[in-house]
Amino acid sequence: MRRHLVLCAATALFLAGCGSSTTPPQQSPQAGQSQKAEPVTVDWWHIATNDPGKSTLDKAAKAYMAEHPEVTIKITILENDAFKSKMSTVSSAGQAPDIFTTWGGGVLAQQVEAGLVKEVDLGEMKDSLTTAAVAPYVIDEKVYAVPTDIGMIGFWYNKDLFAKAGITEPPGTWSAYLEAVKKLKAAGIVPIALAGKEKWPGHFYWSYLAMRIAGLPALQQAAETKDFTNPDFVAAGQQLKALADLQPFQKGFENAAYPGPTGQSATVGNGKAAMELMGQWAPGSQKTEGKGLGEALGFFPFPAVEGGKGALTEAFGGGGGYAVGAEAPDAAVDFLKFLIAEERHAPAINDDLWLPIHKGEEATVSDPNKKAVAEALATATGFQLYLDQAYPPAVGQEVNDSVAQLIEGKKTPEEVVQSITEVAKSE
Amino acid sequence: MRRWVTITLFLLPALVLFVLLVLLPTLMAGYLSFFKWNGLGGLPTNYIGLDNYTRLFESDIFYGDLRTMGVIIVLSLLVQLPFSLAIAMLLHQRIRGRAFYRLVFFAPYVLSEAVTAVLFTMIFAPDESGLANAILGVVGLESEWFADESTVLLTLFVVMSWKYFGFHTLLYLAGRQGIPKELTEAAQIDGSTPWQVFRYVTLPLMGPTIRISAFLSVIGTIQLFDLVWILTGGGPSHSSETLAVTMMQFGFKRAQIGYASAISVVMFLLSLVFALWYQRYVMRRDLEGATVQ
Amino acid sequence: MKSRHLSLQLIAVVVGAFVAVPIIYAVIGGFKDTSQLSTNPFGLPAPWNAGNYADVLGSAGFWRQLGNSIFIALLTTALLVGVSALAAFVLARFTFRGREAIFTLFAVGLMFPFTVAILPLFVMLRTLGLLDSPWGVIFVQAAFGIPVTIIILRGFFRSIPNEIEEAATLDGCTSFAFFWRILLPMARPALATVSVLAVVASWNNFLLPLVVFTDPEWWTIPLGVQQFQGEHGADTSRIMAYLVLAMVPALAFYSLAERHLISGLTAGAMKG
Repeated sequence: MRRHLVLCAATALFLAGCGSSTTPPQQSPQAGQSQKAEPVTVDWWHIATNDPGKSTLDKAAKAYMAEHPEVTIKITILENDAFKSKMSTVSSAGQAPDIFTTWGGGVLAQQVEAGLVKEVDLGEMKDSLTTAAVAPYVIDEKVYAVPTDIGMIGFWYNKDLFAKAGITEPPGTWSAYLEAVKKLKAAGIVPIALAGKEKWPGHFYWSYLAMRIAGLPALQQAAETKDFTNPDFVAAGQQLKALADLQPFQKGFENAAYPGPTGQSATVGNGKAAMELMGQWAPGSQKTEGKGLGEALGFFPFPAVEGGKGALTEAFGGGGGYAVGAEAPDAAVDFLKFLIAEERHAPAINDDLWLPIHKGEEATVSDPNKKAVAEALATATGFQLYLDQAYPPAVGQEVNDSVAQLIEGKKTPEEVVQSITEVAKSE
Repeated sequence: MRRWVTITLFLLPALVLFVLLVLLPTLMAGYLSFFKWNGLGGLPTNYIGLDNYTRLFESDIFYGDLRTMGVIIVLSLLVQLPFSLAIAMLLHQRIRGRAFYRLVFFAPYVLSEAVTAVLFTMIFAPDESGLANAILGVVGLESEWFADESTVLLTLFVVMSWKYFGFHTLLYLAGRQGIPKELTEAAQIDGSTPWQVFRYVTLPLMGPTIRISAFLSVIGTIQLFDLVWILTGGGPSHSSETLAVTMMQFGFKRAQIGYASAISVVMFLLSLVFALWYQRYVMRRDLEGATVQ
Repeated sequence: MKSRHLSLQLIAVVVGAFVAVPIIYAVIGGFKDTSQLSTNPFGLPAPWNAGNYADVLGSAGFWRQLGNSIFIALLTTALLVGVSALAAFVLARFTFRGREAIFTLFAVGLMFPFTVAILPLFVMLRTLGLLDSPWGVIFVQAAFGIPVTIIILRGFFRSIPNEIEEAATLDGCTSFAFFWRILLPMARPALATVSVLAVVASWNNFLLPLVVFTDPEWWTIPLGVQQFQGEHGADTSRIMAYLVLAMVPALAFYSLAERHLISGLTAGAMKG
């Protein structure tokens, strides 16, 4: 009985807390401003802890406030993991900042379902943005965030090490790829660096193989029917197993992280492994975590699989953007459109911040590595968001976890698709 | 009557703080374990009874977690605590630079988990760049440490011991201070060897402290999280995963708050069963001691 | 006797070296640049680079976080040790019905992971208006520290012989006077112990201040470390410098408290 009372009290407190989820409006009106416009405050949480992002975003906010004196933009910068923890706490209490970082997909869909975010009206801008850039934030044909960036995963390789192993051109097919791995091994070179501890880099391999073998429509269909037992997905696992059986990864990859002096990025950046399958940020990361490869760094898309239903030109990747809280003032969306207007977005690309999101913007990219990614994306015939982002978090993490176990020889390709299906059905 | 006023007044501040900020939120979290909830927006509504619990008891990962827990509890009690006790006895002696050693031995406990992880990831690097392999390679004992399922738990235990033994040493030191000099001196005058003094005088008198330290060690191991999370994330292939790590995987990464709450309730029940057993059969001696004296 | 002394000294040196190596490594690591860390992980820095430490010490953020951390740690400790000592005293020296039940209730607080309680706790702090206030962190930290503090203190309070209490009562001491004037001074080692534990726990707490503080004005060292890691992601050596410096105040507190650990119970008993 007493226990029951305590529970009731706790529930009451919990409920009481849920009522007050709106952010209080700024009280002090700024002096000397037009009397018509109500002063509003926009709370903005983002994760650009370092430059160029930090100062670019700060400048944009200041420029907007200068044009719209009634608007105050309050920026809170959080480190990536800190942002996720803090976000999950406040959103469990039914609260969301006016503007916050999002990567779209399954997490955003859950936030939409919980009524934490609202639809974004892009207006005319909708036509100038590329389909891939907006894709991660489209849920039930409505757009729920403003994109700032879009990129793709591909192989970043060390041209010198490839040459040393006698590989003259980057492999375009999967069998040529496996051949290349064997040649690298024979030359005493570690073919691939992989951050096994973090699991997400491993899921790129399975996802790309599934795309190449089963085709994009199959992946989308699986997401809807929650059935991943398609034999083509099993075949993807078998090909990944064939790769893992060659033992292509660096020693102790099972506990390797992505960043850090012994991580995947530094391993490639210091020339200790010939390649990694990674996103557009890889060159920058290789340079800061390790020495960087400079001219020796090259990019090639994930090879096509002979007889597969997918094409070499289909891209797998993701980007970043900003979602808008359900209670956010109109100024929030207005500011975001201001932020990504081409005259501000395009210069930021060459400041090493974003990748193109506007049609034709890739022409302005000067850095050769970024250009490679931007052009591959611009000519892509299809786009798939990272599976661990596209699906609900539980399904996405199961993909990562099962694939990690496949690579470590703990699960068979059949068990992988069964596990994923099981979790997908229970969601 | 006056006695009850004293008792109430003395207990009240701690009770209020504790009930309001620990017990209530905790009960609330336990309540969530009966729901399927992704942790978003207000209250959970999808009541599923004990489903989260049945799902947990059917999962292989859960039994792996129990195994990890058992191994670390046994290792802690057999290795870490005796080591801490030995260090405390050493620091109680008049050795040169005692204050300095006390500082050094306590420093790991103060060091944050994050830097501990950075350091030991480099020391136990799986290739020849690691300090451990550089030294042990001389005698042919290289290993992949955290990256190998057969060595990951032991490696983790070494790091854990390094990080946390200062806590137990601190307790033992304080406990050792409580033993009157007269007793040990009397034994020495009687011609006892240092070992005999320790075995028959010091150790029994340290009993209460040792029992508390063992208790905290076991409860701490059931809750073990931080170091595992940053050092191995529970891998490779879940081989070093603890209950708390599984809980965070599901609660934080998979947004299954209800299931994560169920795991935490199981952690709580395990601790509670242990605590009740311990109080009844091990700590009882201390309770009796207090009334007899 | 002399040889025994020498061998003890030897053991201390060997074990001390084993324990100290990772810390020395961190201190020296702070003097390297990051590429040295991966190319020359275990040698001496070449060249020595004091820039990392200088940068941290020169940043206003570090000092503000340091101030916040010290403020929160000290208030947490004072509150925690205060309320726990009162409760532990009653639980140790009085016999009354329900005593063990209350003690078990407190002990139960050890057995539930803090991370799960954080969601309801957040709602409660919001309701109480304690978000973005240092008190939100101080009260919760003190509350979660109560179990371990009471368990340790009760053990020590128990070990004080009953004769002393009887003598005090005969002298006309009230319970509070006995607690305040005799018990607490005698239990100085135990109080120093739990204070050190409280300071360290507060010092390294990450999740709670993260959730409570949105305004960086109030951020503590661990939040700063995380932010710093974001800013200098790859710059491991600089992060090491930051972390080494972040450890210093907590260690300094320990060496202050440590004096009370040595002068101990026996001295107090004589006075009593």
